[in-house]
Amino acid sequence: MATTLLDLLASSLRRRPHAEALVCGQRRVSYLALWNASMTVAACLRRRGLQPGDRVALLLEPSPEYVAGYYGVLAAGGMAVALNPLAKEWELAAWLRHSGARWLLCAGRTRQCEALAGECPQLDMTELGLWRRADTALSRPPTTAEPDAPAAIIYTSGTTGAPKGVTLSHRNLVSNVTAVMRYLQLTPADRVMHVLPFCYSYGNSVLHTHLAAGATVIIEPGLMYPHRLLERMAEERATGFSGVPATYALLLARTRLDAYPLDSLRYLTQAGGPMPLRDILLVREQLPWAAFYVMYGQTEATARLSYLPPALLLEKPGSVGVAIADTELAVCDPDGRRLPPGEEGQVCARGPGVMLGYWQDPEATRQVLHNGWLWTGDLGHMDEQGFLYLHGRASELIKVGAYRINPAEIEEVLLAMEGVAEVAAAGVPDPLLGQAIKVWLVPQPQARLQAQQVLAYCRRHLPIYKLPRQVVFTDALPRTASGKLRRHALMEAGTAGLED
Amino acid sequence: MTIEQRLRTYILDSFLFTDDESVLDNDDSFLEKGIIDSTGIMEMVSFLEQEFGIQVDDEDMVPENLDSVSRIIAFVSRKRALV
Repeated sequence: MATTLLDLLASSLRRRPHAEALVCGQRRVSYLALWNASMTVAACLRRRGLQPGDRVALLLEPSPEYVAGYYGVLAAGGMAVALNPLAKEWELAAWLRHSGARWLLCAGRTRQCEALAGECPQLDMTELGLWRRADTALSRPPTTAEPDAPAAIIYTSGTTGAPKGVTLSHRNLVSNVTAVMRYLQLTPADRVMHVLPFCYSYGNSVLHTHLAAGATVIIEPGLMYPHRLLERMAEERATGFSGVPATYALLLARTRLDAYPLDSLRYLTQAGGPMPLRDILLVREQLPWAAFYVMYGQTEATARLSYLPPALLLEKPGSVGVAIADTELAVCDPDGRRLPPGEEGQVCARGPGVMLGYWQDPEATRQVLHNGWLWTGDLGHMDEQGFLYLHGRASELIKVGAYRINPAEIEEVLLAMEGVAEVAAAGVPDPLLGQAIKVWLVPQPQARLQAQQVLAYCRRHLPIYKLPRQVVFTDALPRTASGKLRRHALMEAGTAGLED
Repeated sequence: MTIEQRLRTYILDSFLFTDDESVLDNDDSFLEKGIIDSTGIMEMVSFLEQEFGIQVDDEDMVPENLDSVSRIIAFVSRKRALV
């Protein structure tokens, strides 16, 4: 029985040591080379004094180094804390401090790393340049882990004052990976084209499920040039592809997928928010031989909670499907009573993928975990056959493409701008990204603020994916009698805006 | 205005939110400098089509044509010469 992701990797290694685990540009990395590189990282961390449970941050683009770093941390008995290299230094510093990471694995001493060294003097920075030493000697991992020991932290959409670190155990990761492998029917013959960020739950899931299956992960740095990506998929004979709705919208925007020889594609997966049925049908029409999996999940549930079997796509349009193996889904009223089919309530989930909690935040954890059930914050209903349909979110998170953004993060930054008295951010509909960030701003008296200035300020202080698309000025924000911001009123005002 | 001026004004205004010319070098890589992301590229291609009356085909959508001001100027000039 596999206890950790490392056990799953070891079983892929035993089956086909010389098979391609990773393809990244011109580099092709076998399972054996990946294993040896991971063990090198582990040995290095142990030598430098890593104790079981110590946090090790990864500040690496999707790359073979990232993968070896992640498995190396697990093999050394540490916890992997993958950080988004696109984030600004102050965000990274907040996560590093919050996680208490003592080590940072990076690609080189970049300007970003130098700045972090100043902010977090306790950090031991290790540059990963492992591949020259990766040869054929097989080694054992230096430690074995308890299944319920924490293995990883994924920072989601908290604020700098209160970062939210979803803490996952080895059991969480292994059970979720195993369930996904099963319903996608992954085999060592599969080759997935991976364009998602590794540091978040969906990308993390795609990576580890395919390595656990002994398949090949083709790493591509995103979607700037859809034509190149599709050519690459054809060249590499990709059998699988995973995206969020915006990924597919970008691919469909200017390109016909059937203009490329993609006959090797066996499956496509979609998660990360509702994808317009029109886009799903377009993908199916252009790639009719590829099974299309609509999926739903949450970082707090490791990644996946449900999937819709592709054969039922047209029979159950709009549904995110049924619970994955060993997981139970329920729609509940605010008192935790299960609601009958057809009635709207909050989606709750129970199973081996439900996180241990938020790192060092028992209060936030108590708000979402009750008696083993995870309260997802998503609203929805079940039909008579137990198929789940989502209606929206009870929470105020903004979903921009593959990202979840807490409006408070944007507000926190803008409140520090000179001339800003009050500010509110909310998600408004966007045809490509699902939602875009809109900001309503109350200037201080006499302040002469212009939208461009505000956007320029955001550009300096926020990563590119958190930039507002619209800024409007208003005299006052809608508030309740007790002074609480009525963000839903802003969202409903939506694209119309309060000013017009 | 020249292609260069129109293009620079558009990028400064739409992606960098400034009129400070010094922040954008014509050879800056949009990808490496984080100036434009994948949706930004789509917007920019629509801008090029409308502003310069060219058609950007699938196979034109490559970094060699689009990843810096200089590359776009060369690309637009080539495209217009073909019309």
